[in-house]
Amino acid sequence: MRAVSLLALLMLASPAFAHEPTAGRASASFAPELPAPGSYELPPIQRVSDAPLLDERGAPAPLLGLAPGQVAIVSFAYTRCADGGGCPLALAVLQRLDRQIATDPELKDRVRLATLSFDPTHDTPAVMQELRERMRPVADWRFLTARDADSIAPVLADFGQDALPLIDDRGRELGVYRHVLKVFLVDAGGAVRNVYSADFLSADLLAIDARTVLLEAAPAARADFGGTP
Amino acid sequence: MPRPSSLVLVLVVLLAAVGARADETCQSPYLPKLVGQEEFVYVWTLGMDGVGDGSDKLVTIAVDPAREDYGKVVSSVSVGGQHEAHHGGFTDDRRQLWLGGLDSSQIFVFDVATDPARPKLVKTISDFVERSGGVVGPHTFYPLPGRMLISGLSNRDGSGRTALVEYNNQGEYVRTTWMPDGAEYGYDVRIDATLNRMLTSSFTGKTNYMRPLSELIADPEAMTRFGKTVVVWDAHTRKPLQILEVPGAPLEIRWALQPRHHYAFTTAALTSRLWGVFRQDDGRFEAVDLAPIGDPAKTPLPVDISLSADDRFLFVASFLDGMVRVFDVSEPRKPVVVLERQIGKMVNMVSQSWDGKRVYFTSSLLARWDKTGDDGEQFFRAFAWDGEALTPTFGLDFEAAGLGRPHIMNFGSTAFYRGVTQNAAPIVSAGTTP
Repeated sequence: MRAVSLLALLMLASPAFAHEPTAGRASASFAPELPAPGSYELPPIQRVSDAPLLDERGAPAPLLGLAPGQVAIVSFAYTRCADGGGCPLALAVLQRLDRQIATDPELKDRVRLATLSFDPTHDTPAVMQELRERMRPVADWRFLTARDADSIAPVLADFGQDALPLIDDRGRELGVYRHVLKVFLVDAGGAVRNVYSADFLSADLLAIDARTVLLEAAPAARADFGGTP
Repeated sequence: MPRPSSLVLVLVVLLAAVGARADETCQSPYLPKLVGQEEFVYVWTLGMDGVGDGSDKLVTIAVDPAREDYGKVVSSVSVGGQHEAHHGGFTDDRRQLWLGGLDSSQIFVFDVATDPARPKLVKTISDFVERSGGVVGPHTFYPLPGRMLISGLSNRDGSGRTALVEYNNQGEYVRTTWMPDGAEYGYDVRIDATLNRMLTSSFTGKTNYMRPLSELIADPEAMTRFGKTVVVWDAHTRKPLQILEVPGAPLEIRWALQPRHHYAFTTAALTSRLWGVFRQDDGRFEAVDLAPIGDPAKTPLPVDISLSADDRFLFVASFLDGMVRVFDVSEPRKPVVVLERQIGKMVNMVSQSWDGKRVYFTSSLLARWDKTGDDGEQFFRAFAWDGEALTPTFGLDFEAAGLGRPHIMNFGSTAFYRGVTQNAAPIVSAGTTP
């Protein structure tokens, strides 16, 4: 098993992440209530482009590939990640979301999960296939990589996802990246509708935000970023 | 609802232990922090007539003793004109520093990643008023994932009704959220992401903050037009939940940083009181008047605050008496003053390093509120803090150096952008539970 760090941490991280709502429990743990889908706005934040990548079999695959009336939840990760608050956390939450989507008629076939490695040198299609087998997706969850770092760079820039290879004081690469965990909710028009970090990454919240976007009649018509207040 | 497993709890506790964060004590929870020795302090500086080129500028000071130019100005970039330079903040990737002008409502975007010693002005956002629907006075710049949350101070007619405005990291407008009825004024905005709660405070409108202080104080009617509220929001939906009464213009807000410390501090400028905003068992918040700051009858005018990483010490800088008071807030409902020290004839901003060992002060509040004559000294002063005393390390006379009125400070590091993890300023990524 090559992705030892991440997968070992995944074994620790149960699908129930500590940030999940805990209504009714002791006040020592926070218990933010969840909003009703459609009761709030998620204005377009930025537009992103689709990108040609590789799937777990090494075949060409788009990052988004959305049809009208669909949304994507895009996460960036790398399998050597040992930061328990980073990639393993995101994958644990996404695994839980995957299970929710598969059993929800309103979300099934309308929400696509895409996890893209920004470490393509290590994370070959075979490694991503290994990750898929570990995650055992039951909904539409794609594990993507690219031919090389140059192919990933424009995607990272487009989304605003940082991923800096760390070095020691002699300039030697350590095989780990500094990256702020981000997960993106993207509508069928290519507009990012929310960006999540670890502090509020929750399967329930992701599902509610996806519903909120899907409740809109014509997301593709929202060409303007924000419009007038 | 599934309950976290014990293993997950262990993991989270471990993460919290290594990821405890602070000011750089006033930064957003979404921002990667500099946790070691900062290399630079970026000072957003108001231009002064007859001082240098007279324009607002970003001044970079070397503060790492390992640098040969320690204690000196490394670079200075003028933005042209006087905009009432005030506050600013990094984007969530820490690559850009956005700096606002309270008068012109322009926003100056600096690239601080390419050459951290010499930030470069790469963009000026000039559509803030138009795109926001009439908000003026961009104040707090608070990074969210992929975007910047900006609190306004006023609006086109100069009154205090204002809003929260969001731009994406590319500098494109996203949305405006107006302050609720009964709490129209704005000032600071701070989020506790784990609680999904956002707090905003309240100052005054442009007709007041751009007026000479001596005139303003002599106008009883104008002095009624200050904020007296802190609003509790649902951070995710941007919907107001509670309006808390905090009279006397509550300004800076600092959430406690340690796990399970579900409270925040603010100071009321006009009444010179320290307030706590505490989460109650039912999830609602209460505002509690905790203590006086100096002698309120003498109007010390507390302006900036800085909370240590361990939630133990709260530094309170008060403008008119030029003092810093350090409160031990280990028991947050029972703050105790442990140090009072004169910093200058006036003082405004106070910022401390992540490890709490270094504390920096600047002098300027607002161009027309600053003291004049011999009392109008404009400085940047650095101190060492050992938990008991502040010891001066170096200072810079910003007027003598031809720079202007120094205001907000942000920290920079070359090592951060190179990804160096040893023997240099280390970082901790945003994203773990504070």
